[in-house]
Formats: sequence, structure tokens, C-alpha cells
Amino acid sequence: MTITGFVLRNACRNKRRLILTVLSVSISLFLLTILLTALKLMVEPPTTEQASLRIVARHRVSLANVLPEKYQYRIERMPGVEYCSKFTWFGGIYIDEASSNFAQFACDPERIFRIFPEAIVDPRQEEEFVKEKTACIVGRKVAERFGWKVGDRITLLGQLWPCDLELVVRGFYHSEGLDETLVFFHHDYFDELLGKRGIVGTFWIKVTNADVIPGLIDRIDAAFRNTDAETKTETERAFQLGFISMIGNVKLFIGSICTVIVFTMLLVTASTMSMAIRERLREISVLKALGFTGVMIFGLILAESCGLALTGGVLGCFGAKVLAETLDVYKLSKGFLPMFPVTAEILTAGMLVALGLGVISSLAPAYTSLRTSVVTGLKELD
Amino acid sequence: MTPPIVQIRELSKLYRHGDIDVTALDRITLDILAGEFLALMGPSGSGKSTLLHIIAGIDRPTSGECLVQGTDVANLSETALAEWRNRNVGFVFQTFNLVPVLTAYENVELPLLLTSLSSRERRGHVEAALELVGLSDRMKHLPRQMSGGQEQRVAIARALVTDPTLIVADEPTGNLDAHSAADVMILLQRLNREMGKTVIMVTHDPRAAAYAQRTVHLEKGEMLNDSGQSSVVSHQ
Repeated sequence: MTITGFVLRNACRNKRRLILTVLSVSISLFLLTILLTALKLMVEPPTTEQASLRIVARHRVSLANVLPEKYQYRIERMPGVEYCSKFTWFGGIYIDEASSNFAQFACDPERIFRIFPEAIVDPRQEEEFVKEKTACIVGRKVAERFGWKVGDRITLLGQLWPCDLELVVRGFYHSEGLDETLVFFHHDYFDELLGKRGIVGTFWIKVTNADVIPGLIDRIDAAFRNTDAETKTETERAFQLGFISMIGNVKLFIGSICTVIVFTMLLVTASTMSMAIRERLREISVLKALGFTGVMIFGLILAESCGLALTGGVLGCFGAKVLAETLDVYKLSKGFLPMFPVTAEILTAGMLVALGLGVISSLAPAYTSLRTSVVTGLKELD
Repeated sequence: MTPPIVQIRELSKLYRHGDIDVTALDRITLDILAGEFLALMGPSGSGKSTLLHIIAGIDRPTSGECLVQGTDVANLSETALAEWRNRNVGFVFQTFNLVPVLTAYENVELPLLLTSLSSRERRGHVEAALELVGLSDRMKHLPRQMSGGQEQRVAIARALVTDPTLIVADEPTGNLDAHSAADVMILLQRLNREMGKTVIMVTHDPRAAAYAQRTVHLEKGEMLNDSGQSSVVSHQ
């Protein structure tokens, strides 16, 4: 027998309690992992290497305000700009509201896949898309979700804009890092439906290299200062984070739930460990009599508590990862979550929470057992 | 003459219950020779278990001196005392106190986990100890699969597996039937006579005490009489 074997035997002496405790810790850590992943997706949406070469110009006041289409001509000619595309969120309804949680953007068809090179499109499909005014290119996931094929006609009912779109699917894109649920269509078609008003939601710009970004941002904003529609230009990342901040303090909300979960887990584990050690106070006194020192006893309790919490942690955290990779989260969440990457960082955080839980849960019972003298402990049995 | 293994001088122990001090031991002076089999007798509350606990290093005196093999156990730190107990003292309890989730073999092996012995060396010691108590065929049995007498024999094997000089037994026959009690006492007597272990036993039972070479009676924390070894034992 080894000390590890002794710890294992002690941990497994009440199998029902062990299973229930490990289950409660694993379910809680499963939830925590899911919530932390959701939180990360919201506050730090996934990005690609190419995103560092993109900037976004929008109206200085808010996203709800529009910019004149003619700005594109001036932006395109600024040094450091490789491509610039009009980019307007349509926000239309497809079938019903529940089915419409995918974004649709009016853009310049010949430029959009130069700006987003990580979106891979069949060149022939892209060619068809550019040629046909009502054509659209859709993301792989959204196409799979609705079973769209090339040539299918889809109707998007305008909610933000006073027009409906009648689009023809001309191709699909797929990507490793980019959201695969977007729909791209011609800005000219959109503008035509609006009555040639020449307005644009944002301009999406690809720069020649990252070094030009700070100067370019200043130049764009300076170019349109003191006009009716001043711009606010920022990196794609900053734009995404700003957009997310509009949905309120989600971070605080999810963070509060995470705290409650961790605290509840702490109570459950600490209670289990206290009960387990309380029942064994006499045995611990015998161990002390046999020569086990206070540090060793603390080590045994700590190992048992951490072992229990870490087992729950492995089941919960890695269970969440396996499920996220096995299940089609996009379909299950009805399009709300295009991807659900449980990262190594989140797994580490979950396992650290489990370890902390094990350590904290062992402190009170260890203190009780160390404070109890051998004689007092032995009297408990007599 | 055999030197005393335990030298107790003016040993007192007070317990505090709220505002009241209770005297458990009152200026006890006692020598125990190496290789002696001593029975401590007396009614409940006489202080016999307290005296045993102090000798075994699991309790500390309020005043006086208790030297065991020349070591003043009261002056050792908790850690040093734990290590000292592991090397020098074997415990036998009334309620056996085996770890219920460990087999007989593993229970006996437990004190050896604290030593630097290899797994193979530990196996040798454990098998020898279990053979000595006649339980070689019960090595893989859990405590609940054994009778009380067998459990106590496993506890005795655990007490002697580290080869301590001193074996302390607190009411070792208290939870056993007459037949098992006799077996356990014969075993303790063998350890004393054949292996030279010094055995100090607390008991209420005169039949158990009859196996000892010497009996010391205590009452209300004081020594009443001592049956023998007058040349090396004195009492006040």
C-alpha cells in the first residue's frame, strides 16, 4: 500500500457520498465552463489573423446613424488602404423571428472577399455572385441549417429598412475563424430598393499593413470632421467589442452566475469534507498515535479533498469540451451560437477553480482534526 | 540490574473543566524496567489511562518528569513526539481502532509507511508480524470480516510491526469474550517473555492483570500499591 492508495481508500469509503459529491462538482464545473465560454465569446469574440488588418469607419454618433456613400471614394484613395467596401447590416426576418438570428450584410461584391480572405469561396461561385445583382453568398452553417442550395431563392423582410430582399443563393463560403452564418449581398441592390439614397451603415477597410492603422484612423476621421456625418474609425476588434457593450453589462451578469456556482460548489465540497473528517476523527487520532504528524494528516485531508474536486473538475470541464466538440452547438442553439470553442485557457481556469475548491474545502476539517488532541480523539470512541 | 525504561518523577496532571481544576494524577513516581509486563489497575477516573497516555507520548503532564528510554517526552515538539511514537511505542486499544477500509495486511503496514523501508522490506515485516499473531491466513480480510479477537490480534501485529521497545495497551480485553481475551493476553505475554517487549497495560479485569508480572493500583490520581519489583520501583 502507498500513501496515495490510502488516500484513495479513504475517499472511496462512502461510495454514494463520493459519487454525489463528484457529480455535484462536475455538473457545477460543467456549467461554469459553458458560462465562461459564453462569456468569452461575448466579451472577446473570436478573431482571425486577417482581422488585425481591418478597420471600420462608422458614424461618430452611433451605429444607428448612416454615412454618405460618397465617403468611399475618398477613403479608397488614402495611403495604406488596400480595399474598402460599403458594409450595411440589413437585420431582416427570414421565415420568422426565431429563424432570423443570422446577420445579413449589403456589401461591394467584388471587394468583400478581398477584405475577408479567410472566407473561402469557390471562384466560379464568387464570379456568379459579382455578376448578378440579387445574388448572395451565404455561410456554410446557415446554408446547412436551412438546407439552402445554389439557385434557391430567399426572402428577407426588412425590419430596420423599408424594403424586403429577394435574393438568389449563388454560393457558399467556409472559414476557420470567421463566423460561418453570414449572408452577403449587393449594396447596389439594397440601395436601389431604398430609392438610391446613397447611404451606408459602415465602411469596412483592409489596410496594406498593420503599421499604417493608427495614422489611417486619424486621417479618415480628420477628413470628415465638421461635416454632417463625422466618422469614428476603429479597428475591427474595437468595433466588435463596442457592439457587444451595447447589449448591457453581460459580463457582470454572467460573472455573478459564475460566482454563485463556485460558492455553491464550495459549500457542497466543504460540507462533504467536514462530514467525512468528522466521522473519522477517531481514526485520525489513531493515525497520530501511530506517528503521523500534523503536516501528514493535513496532507492526507488536502489530497482527498483536492482529488475529489479535481475528479469533478476533469469530468465537468473536459465533459463540456467533449460535448462542445461533438454536438452541433450552432443547430442546438438555433443559430444563436455560431461556434463554441472551449479553449485551453477556460479549461485551465475551470481546473484551477476545482483545485482552489479542494484546498479551501480541506482547511476547516484539517484545522478541526489538527486541533483535536490524540486523547480527545480516542475518547470519542470509548 | 535491568535499567528502568520508564522513569516517572513527581508526575501530576490537571484537567480544567470550566473554572474547576480536576487532578487526574497527583505526584506519581514510578520506575518501569525494560522487559517488564506491568498492569495499571484502578476504578474509572483513577488516572490509569492518563498515566498510560503520558508514558506513550500522546498526552503531556502538568508537572513532573516522564523519561522514556532517557527521553523527556514532554519536552518534545508535536512533530518530534509523533516520530518518537512511531519508533518507540506500539499501541493496542480497547476498540481495536483498525482502519475499516484497509485489509489486515494494510492496517499492519500503516505505521511502516512512515519509515524509509522499501515495499519488499515492509512486506517482510508485516508478514512476520501477522504470522506471530497467527493471522497469516487473514491478510486480505477487512476488519468487518474478522471476529473481535482477530481484530485485536491484527492491532497487536500493528503495534509490534515497527519493533518498538514499549507496547502500551489500554483495556485490550475490554471488548472481547473470555476466550478471545485469554488469547490476546497470552499473545501479549509472549511478546513480553519471548521478544523482550516492555508491556504496560491498563485494565479493570483482574484475570487480565494476572498475566502481568507486576500490578500498580491507582485511585483518585494517586498510587495505592505496587505488587512487586520493590528493588527498582518506589512510590509515594
